[in-house]
Amino acid sequence: MLSDVSFTIMPGEVVALIGPSGAGKTTLFRCLARLAEADDGEIHLLGRSIRLMRSGQLRTARRDIGLVFQQHNLIRRRSALHNVLAGRLGRVPLWRAMARRFKGDDRQRAYAALDRVDLLDFADRRADRLSGGQQQRVAIARVLAQESRVILADEPVASLDPAAAVSVLSLLRDIAHDRGITVLCSLHQIDLVPGFADRVVVLRAGRLVTDDAIKNFRSLPAGGDIYADQGEQ
Amino acid sequence: MLALLVGVARYAACFHYAEIDLGRLWVGLPKLLHWTAQAWPPDLSELDLLLFRAAQTVAMATIGTSLAVLIAAPLCLLAARNVIPESFVYHPARWLLDLLRGVDSFVFALLFVAAVGLGPFAGVLGIGLHSAGSIAKLWSEAIETIEPGPLEAVAMTGAGRLKLVSYALLPDVLPALLSTSLYIWEFNIRSSTVLGLVGAGGIGQDLKNAVDLLDFRSVATIILIILAMVTAIDRTSAWLRRRLI
Repeated sequence: MLSDVSFTIMPGEVVALIGPSGAGKTTLFRCLARLAEADDGEIHLLGRSIRLMRSGQLRTARRDIGLVFQQHNLIRRRSALHNVLAGRLGRVPLWRAMARRFKGDDRQRAYAALDRVDLLDFADRRADRLSGGQQQRVAIARVLAQESRVILADEPVASLDPAAAVSVLSLLRDIAHDRGITVLCSLHQIDLVPGFADRVVVLRAGRLVTDDAIKNFRSLPAGGDIYADQGEQ
Repeated sequence: MLALLVGVARYAACFHYAEIDLGRLWVGLPKLLHWTAQAWPPDLSELDLLLFRAAQTVAMATIGTSLAVLIAAPLCLLAARNVIPESFVYHPARWLLDLLRGVDSFVFALLFVAAVGLGPFAGVLGIGLHSAGSIAKLWSEAIETIEPGPLEAVAMTGAGRLKLVSYALLPDVLPALLSTSLYIWEFNIRSSTVLGLVGAGGIGQDLKNAVDLLDFRSVATIILIILAMVTAIDRTSAWLRRRLI
């Protein structure tokens, strides 16, 4: 359950969403992507109300929303390249999707995206044969190929080891800064936030409790406290 | 406790309804043994015709299963909740496939013999309709058990439902779909051996004629041909399954 969650993200901003598990981070993401329906309230994305869109409008709007999931969510029996090409699906005609015949231009974007995440050598490897970190990088490459203007990342590093987590987050941040993409990324490891985000939003028990620039982050209650208060709510 | 008693009573009643009578079996058994003795050696004089009928039986099951696959392909998508969440499509589709599955291919064949005349074509239509229901049900269940994540991820690229199905869903479920179709094909080979009883072609017709004429040497030949045919198809199916999946 979410309530009283209200915030605005400026274009190009990288925002970390933190909060204990069960705080409603995933629900918030699903509402923003309209994979779940919010009962009430307003969600504007790039100036348009997501909640009021019909399915055709929603499909068009979703091209601008890249979603990175905790569980990568790749098509397991397809190659890394095919998974990245999926990012182009919103813009290609149906027959091309069905025949899996993409134009050279789309393929080039997909290869460039794989190169950006350092997986060009793995383009033909089946997704389920890649490591967890590699799979998450393929998922990011898919969002890159999609050329979305916003990236929503729901605990993208929760299932990765610390080294892979740092590399995936710095990749996300660099991409955001290079291309002016807006990023909202949830994390539960608070120590990863400095050096990644410009701003921190803290969610607890479905409510927004802190919204602050990163330079003030150290004066926030220590990470331990954010979690410790959970029981009182 | 009461439920148990009612259950036992109903089960006992089944014996009555099924007219279980061991005495009649005792009297009939020597007859069977006598016939079995008479069935040797098998009558091979009409082997050519019987082999043709066997080929007809395999053809009937194969084309019937293909027809079923064609009907099941759209139907299984309409009857899968994760593809079509809309109840006004999903429920009628489920209802239709339960109807097709509920009527045996034997019964369909009986109706088609009346409609299109005697012969294997009626059998093909009967198998096609009944198996379409079975295949669509098994397929839609295979589709419903796949993880929602990859589909959501592809939906987030702005892809519509057909793109979603062809690009993200099919690759994941294809091995299961193929395996199911082969299983139904094997099943149809066995069930089409009796479709001749209602005049729908194949070797079943010869079996019925031979039994009616008490020609047990021909019956023996037919049963041996059916066994060889079913075994050969099972092997072929297993081989195909290894190759394709």
